[in-house]
Amino acid sequence: MAGAGGGGCPAGGNDFQWCFSQVKGAIDEDVAEADIISTVEFNYSGDLLATGDKGGRVVIFQREQENKSRPHSRGEYNVYSTFQSHEPEFDYLKSLEIEEKINKIRWLPQQNAAHFLLSTNDKTIKLWKISERDKRAEGYNLKDEDGRLRDPFRITALRVPILKPMDLMVEASPRRIFANAHTYHINSISVNSDHETYLSADDLRINLWHLEITDRSFNIVDIKPANMEELTEVITAAEFHPHQCNVFVYSSSKGTIRLCDMRSSALCDRHSKFFEEPEDPSSRSFFSEIISSISDVKFSHSGRYMMTRDYLSVKVWDLNMESRPVETHQVHEYLRSKLCSLYENDCIFDKFECCWNGSDSAIMTGSYNNFFRMFDRDTRRDVTLEASRESSKPRASLKPRKVCTGGKRKKDEISVDSLDFNKKILHTAWHPADNVIAVAATNNLYIFQDKIN
Amino acid sequence: MEFKLEAHRIVSISLGKIYNSRVQRGGIKLHKNLLVSLVLRSARQVYLSDPCPGLYLAGPAGIPAPPPQQQPGEPAAGPPAGWGEPPPPVARASWPETEPQPERPSVSHAPRVGDEVPVTTVTGVGDVLQGREADATEAAWSRVERPRQAAAGEAEGPAGGWGVFPEGSLAARRPCGCPLGGEDPPGTPAATPRTACCCAPRPAEDEPPAPPAVCPRKRGAAGVGGGPAGCPAPGSTPLKKPRRNLEQPPSGGEDDDAEEMETGNVANLISIFGSSFSGLLRKSPGGGREEEEGEESGPEAAEPGQICCDKPVLRDMNPWSTAIVAF
Repeated sequence: MAGAGGGGCPAGGNDFQWCFSQVKGAIDEDVAEADIISTVEFNYSGDLLATGDKGGRVVIFQREQENKSRPHSRGEYNVYSTFQSHEPEFDYLKSLEIEEKINKIRWLPQQNAAHFLLSTNDKTIKLWKISERDKRAEGYNLKDEDGRLRDPFRITALRVPILKPMDLMVEASPRRIFANAHTYHINSISVNSDHETYLSADDLRINLWHLEITDRSFNIVDIKPANMEELTEVITAAEFHPHQCNVFVYSSSKGTIRLCDMRSSALCDRHSKFFEEPEDPSSRSFFSEIISSISDVKFSHSGRYMMTRDYLSVKVWDLNMESRPVETHQVHEYLRSKLCSLYENDCIFDKFECCWNGSDSAIMTGSYNNFFRMFDRDTRRDVTLEASRESSKPRASLKPRKVCTGGKRKKDEISVDSLDFNKKILHTAWHPADNVIAVAATNNLYIFQDKIN
Repeated sequence: MEFKLEAHRIVSISLGKIYNSRVQRGGIKLHKNLLVSLVLRSARQVYLSDPCPGLYLAGPAGIPAPPPQQQPGEPAAGPPAGWGEPPPPVARASWPETEPQPERPSVSHAPRVGDEVPVTTVTGVGDVLQGREADATEAAWSRVERPRQAAAGEAEGPAGGWGVFPEGSLAARRPCGCPLGGEDPPGTPAATPRTACCCAPRPAEDEPPAPPAVCPRKRGAAGVGGGPAGCPAPGSTPLKKPRRNLEQPPSGGEDDDAEEMETGNVANLISIFGSSFSGLLRKSPGGGREEEEGEESGPEAAEPGQICCDKPVLRDMNPWSTAIVAF
């Protein structure tokens, strides 16, 4: 339901008071399509924040160390590395262009000084190594400082090269390229808890990869019917369980989630658990199927729950109960009467993501008009906030927003018809430990922090 | 009645989306097209199941009747059974229509005016519809071609979606309602009857190489648009006309005619798209259409998700893909 927070009360759950921290990206009204952010992801420690855009670029922000003189202000995120991950390609066999848009980024747990992440477009997954270089060797014997070779006859003494500090340079290099395994468009990648394998899912198949091996992958789910005309559903998202390396789930366009156990068989076409909520027959419309299609599925950090996002709501499921979700939160129910218009302008196909906070006590997802919604699972309170340049003063508190669903519009409320459906927040991320959130609004990345501590 | 108009509108919008999806960058998105086809199916069910006599008009004078007597099992129906009633189910093996098409029986026995070419044409269709698997694709191909070439004749509406409504006015624009005989892929068995028509070279002849091969590629250069702006395929442009007309509310005295033509075209188009994903209607697998061998031959090349645009491959593709490509 539209925001429950009052005017002066703390917004969000757990008495959060969300404040503006930073915004990244151009201010221009004219947004280049290539700059539209298509994925946002914190790494395991939260020190690094990666974004991918439609132009195939990845930008990584790093959190600055906290300033000792201002212990109450959190570290800012500044650009750490930028690189072109994917380029547009052309499949000559099928006469199809392959978009360079980054669909997903997933970090690998850090094992040494370098950072690794997986980034994927529609067809190809790449493993990138991001490493720092802050020293360089000087005093070579066979070449001078410019790199030119020295005349061997001129060398009269030998010296040991020494390392000298240099300006920090962050290099990104592709270490593995996992290609040619997907006929359809890749929608998800998920790193396994064993830190050795990961899965990639397209509309009809899920493949299991080993991070070291690029020339083959195992197909673990295949829902392609023998006769494509009998196709009734596609895979929309997939994720590994955070702790059990044999368990993964995948969601479908029919609003169902299947949990599979890789120990049971090599091909996991038969699920171990099947999660589906019976449809409410009273709300049937032309668009019932579209709005029940799940756009994102995320396990809780605990591994006990999972959350699914469909067009109008977010549902929390207990893995032990398949018959119905344990919680259902309405994101923007006021859109239910507008489905036909949203179908016309294609908004009904928007794929919103959702995320958990570090303690699994709150969940967040995006909406239109640059609104995003937070639900506190403990207090049952929810709030609507806006990512806008107007409320972009440093440490300015975000004011809860409210959408007027009918009748008299109160001051500060927005009517449904005034919502800007071009300003949509599809991608959000929550810091794994702290109350810091990253919200992608078209080409801008907003970072908000909790005022407390 | 409002449901019908709403359904009609949704059908038009859906077809437009499917059409546009062909030229979107990145290839056809399977998920989105599946969802659109679900909506199309729901709207179509409402549209076809809501009997509304006013809509199934006799139409303008001169609607030739393609006598479907060639089709086995089809009862020689009397006056169009479709007038205001749910049409009788059509027993046709090769085209998996779970719901009958109203306009087919509706024109089956209306008096024919003039053109015997369409008879030839339809005979060809009828022959094709004898149910040979190999011809199934031909049926799909010919069906798909007709709306396009009919539209290419600057028809206001679909007039002659199947070449069965060549009204006088249309006939003036186009010599006949023949499908693109010249465009049939080589080796088409049913091509012969169709080519034996009096067609003068048609504008549609320009179309053959263009739509499948060019549009997806052109997309990138042309940028986003309501249609393949950069696509030179003439076939695409004419098709826009019926679509635009579909979305315009009927007005004035032309009401009935326009409405009827729209109905015909929409229903025809529905039959193309509606019969695909037939599993959505049926619970049991094994819908009417046999899967072409070509589906599996080129690796994944002929799947709806990936449209290969070579003409030889088109012949082997299932009608869904064919329909998409042709549109």
